[in-house]
Amino acid sequence: MLPVEHPFAAPQRASPLPLSLASASRSEDLQWVGEPTSGSTSALRDLNPVIFRPQTLQSVHPPAAELPLGPYTRQGSGAPAPSSGATVFALSSGQGRCGIAVIRTSGPASGQALRSLTAPRDLPPARKACLRLLSDPRSGEPLDRALVLWFPGPQSFTGEDCAEFHVHGGPAVVSGVLQALGSVPGLRPAEAGEFTRRAFAHGKLSLTEVEGLADLIHAETEAQRRQALRQLDGELNHLCRGWAETLTKALAHVEAYIDFGEDDNLEEGVLDQADSEVRELEVALGAHLRDARRGQRLRSGAHAVVVGPPNAGKSSLVNLLSRKPVSIVSPEPGTTRDVLETPVDLAGFPVLLSDTAGLREGVGPVEQEGVRRAQKRLEQADLILAVLDASDLASPSSCNFLDTVVIPAGAGSPNGSNQRLLLVLNKSDLLPAGGPDPSPDLPPHLLLSCLTGDGLDGLLEALRKELAALCGDPSTDPPLLTRARHQHHLQGCLDALGHYKQAKDLALAAEALRVARGHLTRITGGGGAEEILDIIFRDFCVGK
Amino acid sequence: MFSFRGCGRWVAASLTKQHHPSSRFSGDSAAPWTPHFDVVVIGGGHAGTEAAAAAARCGSRTLLLTHRVDTIGQMSCNPSFGGIGKGHLMREVDALDGLCSRICDQSGVHYKVLNRRKGPAVWGLRAQIDRKLYKQNMQKEILNTPLLTVREGAVEDLILTEPEPEHTGKYRVSGVVLGDGSTVYAESVVLTTGTFLRGMIVIGLEMHPAGRLGDQPSIGLAQTLEKLGFVVGRLKTGTPPRIAKESINFSILNKQTPDNPSIPFSFINETVWIKPEDQLPCYLTHTNPQVDEIVLENLHLNCHVKESTRGPRYCPSIESKVLRFPNRLHQVWLEPEGMDSDLIYPQGLSVTLPADLQEKMITCIRGLEKAKMIQPGYGVQYDYLDPRQITPSLETHLVQRLFFAGQINGTTGYEEAAAQGVIAGINASLRVRHKPPFVISRTEGYIGVLIDDLTTLGTSEPYRMFTSRAEFRLSLRPDNADSRLTFRGYKEAGCVSQQRYERATWMKSSLEEGISVLKSIEFPSSKWKNLIPEASISIGRSLPLRALDVLKYEEVDTELLAKAVPEPLKKYTKCRELAERLKIEDF
Repeated sequence: MLPVEHPFAAPQRASPLPLSLASASRSEDLQWVGEPTSGSTSALRDLNPVIFRPQTLQSVHPPAAELPLGPYTRQGSGAPAPSSGATVFALSSGQGRCGIAVIRTSGPASGQALRSLTAPRDLPPARKACLRLLSDPRSGEPLDRALVLWFPGPQSFTGEDCAEFHVHGGPAVVSGVLQALGSVPGLRPAEAGEFTRRAFAHGKLSLTEVEGLADLIHAETEAQRRQALRQLDGELNHLCRGWAETLTKALAHVEAYIDFGEDDNLEEGVLDQADSEVRELEVALGAHLRDARRGQRLRSGAHAVVVGPPNAGKSSLVNLLSRKPVSIVSPEPGTTRDVLETPVDLAGFPVLLSDTAGLREGVGPVEQEGVRRAQKRLEQADLILAVLDASDLASPSSCNFLDTVVIPAGAGSPNGSNQRLLLVLNKSDLLPAGGPDPSPDLPPHLLLSCLTGDGLDGLLEALRKELAALCGDPSTDPPLLTRARHQHHLQGCLDALGHYKQAKDLALAAEALRVARGHLTRITGGGGAEEILDIIFRDFCVGK
Repeated sequence: MFSFRGCGRWVAASLTKQHHPSSRFSGDSAAPWTPHFDVVVIGGGHAGTEAAAAAARCGSRTLLLTHRVDTIGQMSCNPSFGGIGKGHLMREVDALDGLCSRICDQSGVHYKVLNRRKGPAVWGLRAQIDRKLYKQNMQKEILNTPLLTVREGAVEDLILTEPEPEHTGKYRVSGVVLGDGSTVYAESVVLTTGTFLRGMIVIGLEMHPAGRLGDQPSIGLAQTLEKLGFVVGRLKTGTPPRIAKESINFSILNKQTPDNPSIPFSFINETVWIKPEDQLPCYLTHTNPQVDEIVLENLHLNCHVKESTRGPRYCPSIESKVLRFPNRLHQVWLEPEGMDSDLIYPQGLSVTLPADLQEKMITCIRGLEKAKMIQPGYGVQYDYLDPRQITPSLETHLVQRLFFAGQINGTTGYEEAAAQGVIAGINASLRVRHKPPFVISRTEGYIGVLIDDLTTLGTSEPYRMFTSRAEFRLSLRPDNADSRLTFRGYKEAGCVSQQRYERATWMKSSLEEGISVLKSIEFPSSKWKNLIPEASISIGRSLPLRALDVLKYEEVDTELLAKAVPEPLKKYTKCRELAERLKIEDF
């Protein structure tokens, strides 16, 4: 529904899209100039938010007609402009029978739509809920008694005029209101994600905020919700924007040195200052990238893999944690042959839990394949839940498992990843009650009985700690990079900063900074040359 | 009666000599007939001259209309051309066979390339220009351009007709009405009115209408454009006072000498007209707290500074420098106005105080203690048209076949004006011939950056070119403007002469050949080290090194390489430009 993961942030002036957009919009431009009185100003403004920026021409003469110069921004110029001037409507709450359904409109004809359905009443006061009788504007037939809200732009979600109809949630009511809205001139059904796209195009949401909104809508666990809400509040954007500002300033100083260093007396040390800013930025980016996958894990779930020798109780553990019978459990070794996945909410964190075949050698080809798959899954795991039978620790399969899986993982990650491991000794109910720890020589471990649920609380607490480390704690940590593209662009930025330090030719050094800034602005938006010039003229007295 | 076209050039040429108002236009006294041109260019400044000459080069019968023929090619502000970014534009204008670079190579008095230490992409070709020589040479060029006629007259109105249905636009321009009521028909019209649209000159609290000191503004035309529905804005700019040369004590000031050798602006010139030793120096002095004091004490006498109209941030008046960056010493460059000129242009001292206070301020400055002010500095406020109302070919959306170029579009600077002029002239001509427009993209040149910025973003202050505006700065270099634009200009626009086309072709093939030769020469690194001991080549490398790789070393240039391997490299050092470009391309 939302334009998630679609890298339409590309705000670089050079990319062909904005340019072709700008030229494609020309005929509309012309209409504003030629027929400036047709339509309301806000309608004109909506025609193309992409090429407008906040600026007013200072005409000393009374303008011939209303100036079609609305506020606009070039940010997000990579996004296709919403189709011009149309007002859209859609059911914004879920489908199906429900108590209340919410229908929204956005666009210049929203006020007209609201009036048409609530005739003969006037528009309600802005942002105040009012009870109104809705009726079909064509037949006058009453549709429902509903709460309506009126959000005049730009103080609305999309930045346009918006209206909301909170109607009773029966399918007939909803379809009746939608049909009535469709009959109002200038209204059409919204396309998927169109409200958000309009909010983005009007600068109401930054790209990372749009991503946060998508995540919030899809959030299934507590930690995901916290993280998404923070991103929607613009925390990631704020962080990246801070970096981008530092970088823009460093670049502006280099650019000033290039464009004005020879002719004007710039202060000493302009380049040194840029160098030190770049160094600081490198440190900050490096620190943030160190475990950059945390945010992605939080967003799409950490991979937890349950492994162990046959018949240790892996499937029982999976069923216990997921609170449903995911895997078939039997006393027969080798019951689970394939990898079974189930998404679970563990202590508020999203986890993709995989049950695997017991690791052993010398069995039939089908089970052998299961073992191979288990091992493969083991390599990709963020968190390994190693399960052993507490009553069977001395068996060869248990020892072998300890030697090949548990000890190496405990000794530090074999392939440089930050895999974590929890050793669970299952079937504690088979141990003599109150007896000594059966395995004082083992690495740190937890005792559990899947049968009685004994030790489950301890396990959950341990899992919570591990997952918080893997996914980051969204209530205390700095904002996370929730998507691969965030990480990609931060890494690209960091690489370009490295090139800056190596370049001898100042123009090449500046180019490296431009590339670095380009990467950051793919996350934050913005990034035009004008920002650089603003800094140059603010910081230096240049020109003659 | 001979045809208008045939006599036009003669008329204009005679005007410059006789300056006899009654003989301004031979057609005036004749029977009522209406002249008809392919392209009419209004304005004889830097945009107008380029536009008129470009249209004529493209093969269109062209008329240049100006208030006064003797101001064609007037440099109304600083006595210099080029600089960082601006030099790039001049190279591109030249690559399209424009005029200003060639005229500068004939009129400069101090040639200096800026940013030599910073990499070839940001070198800034610049020169102090003799105003008088420039004007003379420009007028000679304009009056001798085939197909180009010059006429004096003030344009008061446009003649409009029904639009062509296959193009956008509410009207179509088909000619102009002059101040005397006569008309000239045209297939395309280029407006390059500079600061003359409702221009106002400001000195202290005095304001009077003028496009330039001593010249009448265009008011009727401004009203016409506004009535048509063009969105009009207001900008301001300023110019410093002029000082008598003999009243300045240069002996105590820092002297700046020109480059030796001088680098010409034009691709088709190997040298400039004047030897380095005959060129004039510039001098540097600084403002001081006394200057600040005079400015701050007299702000109430200075309406230009108080107004809200936007001036350029990068060409600030001394008032705004003092206000925005107090307690600093600001540079003042003392630049010659010409070989035999008695005037010095104090660059950096743009000011709109009342004249007596200007003189008082000047005499506070080191070296200028006894300076005599010949002409006060002044501010100009003028109308411009929101450039978002024009297409990338500089044609207006509203009126078909009407083109705008230069300060009317909100730019500042001779070079920015010339760049737009060339494009407007080419496109006005192409439009008449029903050919597709000639548009330069941001990836192809600074001209493309300039026009794209203007037409998509508009501008709220006088727009000046900087290299920081160009995304593709590393490839849009002054040295390769010909390879980017000359071939397109020749094939698509027809604005490039055969001679220039051949020169560019030769350069291109020589470069390609040179690079492949450099690739083919391979020696072990130890041999290279022996041949070129100056180079920091590490001899530990096992693989042989190509000449191309050796040329990449900062301390190695084509000359040095050719000394080491005379055959076959010697021939690439014969042409200075080729040798330098080989090094740059390799870099």
